[in-house]
Parts: sequence; structure tokens; C-alpha cells
Amino acid sequence: MNSEVCLSCEGVERYLGEEEERVHALRGVSLEVEAGSVHGVVGPSGCGKSSLLYILGLLDTPDAGRVAIETEAVSHLSDDELAQKRNKFIGFIFQFHFLMEDFTAQENVMIPMRKLGQLSDAQMRDRAAELLDGVGLGDKLRRPSRHLSGGEQQRVAIARALANDPRVILADEPTGNLDTANSGRAFELLQNLVHERGKALLLATHNPAIAEACDWIHEMKDGRIIDSQLRTTGS
Amino acid sequence: MTPPLYIALRFLTHRKRALLLSLSGVVFGVAIFICTQAQTQGFSRYFIESNIGSNGALVVRSRFRPRYEPLMVAAKNKASTGRRVYFEGITNPNEIMRVSRQFPDVISCSPVLRGNVSARAGFENATVDLYGIDPALHARTTDILHQLIDGSFGDFRNNTSAIIIGSRLAELLQTSVGDTVQLLAPNGEYWRFNVAAIARAGIGSIDSTRIYSHAKVAQALLQQPSGASMIIYKLRDRNRAPVLASRFETLFQHNALSWQEREESTLQLFLTLRMSVAITVSLIILLAGFGIFNVLTMSVLAKIKEIAILRSMGYRRRDISAIFLWQGALIAAAGSVLGCLLGALMTWGVSHIPIRLRGLLYTNYFLVTWDWRHYAFATLLALLAVFIASYVPARRAAELPPVVTIRGSR
Repeated sequence: MNSEVCLSCEGVERYLGEEEERVHALRGVSLEVEAGSVHGVVGPSGCGKSSLLYILGLLDTPDAGRVAIETEAVSHLSDDELAQKRNKFIGFIFQFHFLMEDFTAQENVMIPMRKLGQLSDAQMRDRAAELLDGVGLGDKLRRPSRHLSGGEQQRVAIARALANDPRVILADEPTGNLDTANSGRAFELLQNLVHERGKALLLATHNPAIAEACDWIHEMKDGRIIDSQLRTTGS
Repeated sequence: MTPPLYIALRFLTHRKRALLLSLSGVVFGVAIFICTQAQTQGFSRYFIESNIGSNGALVVRSRFRPRYEPLMVAAKNKASTGRRVYFEGITNPNEIMRVSRQFPDVISCSPVLRGNVSARAGFENATVDLYGIDPALHARTTDILHQLIDGSFGDFRNNTSAIIIGSRLAELLQTSVGDTVQLLAPNGEYWRFNVAAIARAGIGSIDSTRIYSHAKVAQALLQQPSGASMIIYKLRDRNRAPVLASRFETLFQHNALSWQEREESTLQLFLTLRMSVAITVSLIILLAGFGIFNVLTMSVLAKIKEIAILRSMGYRRRDISAIFLWQGALIAAAGSVLGCLLGALMTWGVSHIPIRLRGLLYTNYFLVTWDWRHYAFATLLALLAVFIASYVPARRAAELPPVVTIRGSR
């Protein structure tokens, strides 16, 4: 892979559960995600896709191995420093959108910006409006998130993931809860963002059509990446 | 506004019923605390004011009998100090007053010759506590001028055969201003006095027994060689009375008693009552705290998904903790402000409830005290209770591993 690697891991091991229920979820996984590319992770349920995403997203810590953002290893970072990295460098999109129900679409998008604290309230509002407009929700800024449809909620989640202009977007089955039309639209949106703005996208998916559209496909089985394929050469 | 405060506000305002429940607990707890403290301290303070207004903040009385310790050999392991013995009355009162006036804490002092005599008016008899006073000095040292409910102090001052009589004693002897009261001298002779004024100190034990006469007349009537049996003091700071009493004892070799020591048993009664009420009412605030604990714990459980989202977006553990602590702090702050306002309103309302007390104290209405410390203490108590109540849920929220929630939601 080229030198613009913005997220990588090497020899990552992860065990989940306790005693008899202990599962070896990741077995020496190594991966590099470079800017401007879409990486798809595919594999059967329980193969370790989500576990890998959570570790790369600094939400979970590996039992062994190394995770790095750009060239900086993160294993020595404190919980606060990891939180800061998540806020600044990583945007998460979950299968079940995970919006704050009491907040409007615009307020949801502003939450990561508030934490980063680099913009004024007015600037945050403008940026949130711009991002929501970008995902086709410019007319629903002030609508409470619980009053949006599933597809709209997922688009708000995409806008929120982009709020702090992160270098890496991690998506755990982002279209898994959407119908085919919405699913295609959401993926297209993400793909355009990656290619136009030079982001890195790593997504776990069961959807073969989406996997086929990725720049890289990593196939996982029993906690291992058993195959990695470069699909396009555009990135 | 910090992000945790902003989110706390949003969480709070979106759960109106829970917010109202938590808030009402704090509001009523604080209000009841303030109101009950105002009442119990109101009665206590009225007693202290009235007592000091009549008997002074400090009293110097009997002279110490000298000890002869240097001539005695103390027994082994036994303290040589025994109970002090006194000579009745003050020796050289004018000199003691002259010296004590040099103390900056002393505003004024007044000599009193005191004795028990029988009083007769018409067919009524009573044993009375006769206070022989110097009218001018006594008026400067006590609140007697404010205590008069009938008659005139001038009439008393200008007439040596005039007396001022306590209000309840006047009722007992069925006398009023202008009537004659006879006092029985130790030689069996009745002395006639005109009632120049009637005084109400507000304390039953004073109003039902006390008669003021001119000191010279009292000395002749009681056939006392000494011109004063005690000197009473008005002080700039009544709380310095114990310190001053101790210094006066050493300096004048006379027994000196502060008002705190003199009224110790009654003050302890009031204090016990106040403490008891404060403890009871504090339980209300603690119950409110328990309610908040429940509400916030439920909130943590309800917001478990939101907490995971926030953590995934880069909010730190202490940010999550702060969100729940802020919710508690906002409830405590709003509850304390509203509670203080309600407490003041309740205190005002209680002070207008008519009651007819004619026992230990004389009052026609509930007595209350307006003291900022009640408000400060109630607020402090509420803040403390709410902080403790919020701390555990806040900590629990901060410790929640986001990845577990996210995995569980799949």
C-alpha cells in the first residue's frame, strides 16, 4: 500500500467474553487503510468484522498487536487521549444510526463539533446545515431525530460522522437497516465523500453489491483476514 | 456553555415529569427547613433578646471569699480547689463600675439592689422580686423604656415612692397605673408605693414577679447595708460575655455570670428543639436526594445508548460524568432558589398566624427570625444531598464501556 496510510493495525488479537464463553474474536489481524479509498470488510456473522472496527475506532483495546493513526501508535494513549483522537480523526456510522432522540437533526450533527470546540455556535449551526444539505436533509434541520424515517436518520448519522471533518470514517453495516434504494443512496454518498475529499472509509458489510463497489475487499473468517483484494486502481 | 452542561440541560428538559418530581423534593425540603428554623430560632432569639433586655448580657454579683491555700497542704492526688464561697452583695460597686467602663466591650452598667418581699394591693398578695435601680443608669443599660406598656418612665424617675410593676404581676394584684401597692419590709412595716408604669419584658418569670423601685428606697426597705447586690452590663457584642465574665472575676474577685451561663438550661432546651427539628427536616432533604438518585439512575439506564454514542464521538468519561452531575447541580440550584423563595413566603405566612402565648414567653403571633444563614445552610444541605445522589449514577454512567452497549444493540 502507499505512504498515505491514515489508519493501520498489525497483529491484532482480541478475546471476548469470560472463562467458558471466551472467544478468540481477532487472531493476528493486520490492515492498512489509506486516504481516498473505500475498504470493505466482509464475512459471516461473528467472524470479527465489528470487533476489528471497534478496535480501529479506538472504542475497544486489543489484547495484543498494534494500532496506529497515521504513524502514531495509540496503545500508550490514555482514555482521554483516545477520546480526543476519536473526536478529531474518526467518524463512526453504526447500523442502527444511534442518534440522540431528544435532539433535532441539526443538533445531532453539532454534538461532535461542540466537543471539539473549534467553532462558534453560529458556525456550528451553519456547518451542520451544510452537511445535512449535502445528504439531502436541508429542509429537515429542526426536525427531532425520532420523527425522521430510517433512511433519513442514517443520513443524519453520516452527516454527524463528517462533522469534525475526520480523516477516517468507520461504518459498521451502515446500510444494514435500510431498504435497497436507501442503502444504495447512502453508500454512494459515502463513496463520493471519500473520493472527493480524500477520506478513508472502512466499512463492514454483508451486502455483496456494496462490497463489490469498494476499492478494497477484505474477507474475514474466524477472526482472520483470509483474503484482501484491490478492486479498482482509482485511489 | 460547555458541551456536558448543554447536553445535561437537554436531557433534563426532555424528561419533564422526572424533573418536576426531583425539583419538588428539593424545593419543599429547602422551604420547610428554612421555615422551621425561622420559627424555632424566632422563639429562642425572642427569649434571649428579652432576657438580655431585662437582666443584662453580663452580671457581676457576690464577692469571692478569699482562699487560704498557701497555708494548707494539699492531700496527695487530690485537687485543692473546692467550691468557691461568697460574701453576699457587691463591695464598692462604684469603683467596679468605674473600672469596667474602661473596657471597650462595655456600653453601660447599672447597679441593682435585689430582694424578695411581699406585695399587697387591695385584697391580693404576691411575693415579688424587688429591683432597686438607678433609673437613669438602668434605662441606659436595659430595654426598660421599650418594655413599658402603660404609664411613664418620667413619672417613676421623678418620684422616689413610685414603682414600675411587671405586667402579669399587675394583673395578679389587679392594679393599674396610678394605683397603690404596699410592700412589706422585713420589720413588718408596709411601705406604700404608686404604680408609675407597667412593664412587659415578654418573659413570664420576669413579668409575673418583678417590681422596680429607686435604689435608695429599696435599700431602706430591705434594710441592706450594701448599695448593690449586683451590677448588670450592656455589651457591644453579647457573644463576648463569657470572656468578659472570666476577666471580671479575676479582676474584681466577684462572681460574674454571662447570659449564656445564666440561661444555660433554657438555651439548651431551645437548642435541642432546633436540632431535633433540623434533623427531621434534613431527612426530607435526604429523601429528596434519594428521589434524585432514583431519577438519575433511571436516566443513566434510559440514556445508556446515548452515552455510548457520545463516547464514540470523543466525549471523555469525565464529560459523561459531568452530564449527570450537571443535571443534579441544575436541580439543586433551581430547587434551592425556589425553595428559598417558598421558605421566605412560608416564614412570612407563619409569622402572621395568631397564637396567644402567656407562659414562658408573651406573644400574640408566631415568632420567626429572618436569618440569611438558614437559607445558606438549607442550600448547602440541598447541594450536598443532590451531589451525593448524583455522584453514583454519574460515576456509573462514566464507567459504562461504550463498545458493550454498541455490541448489545446490534
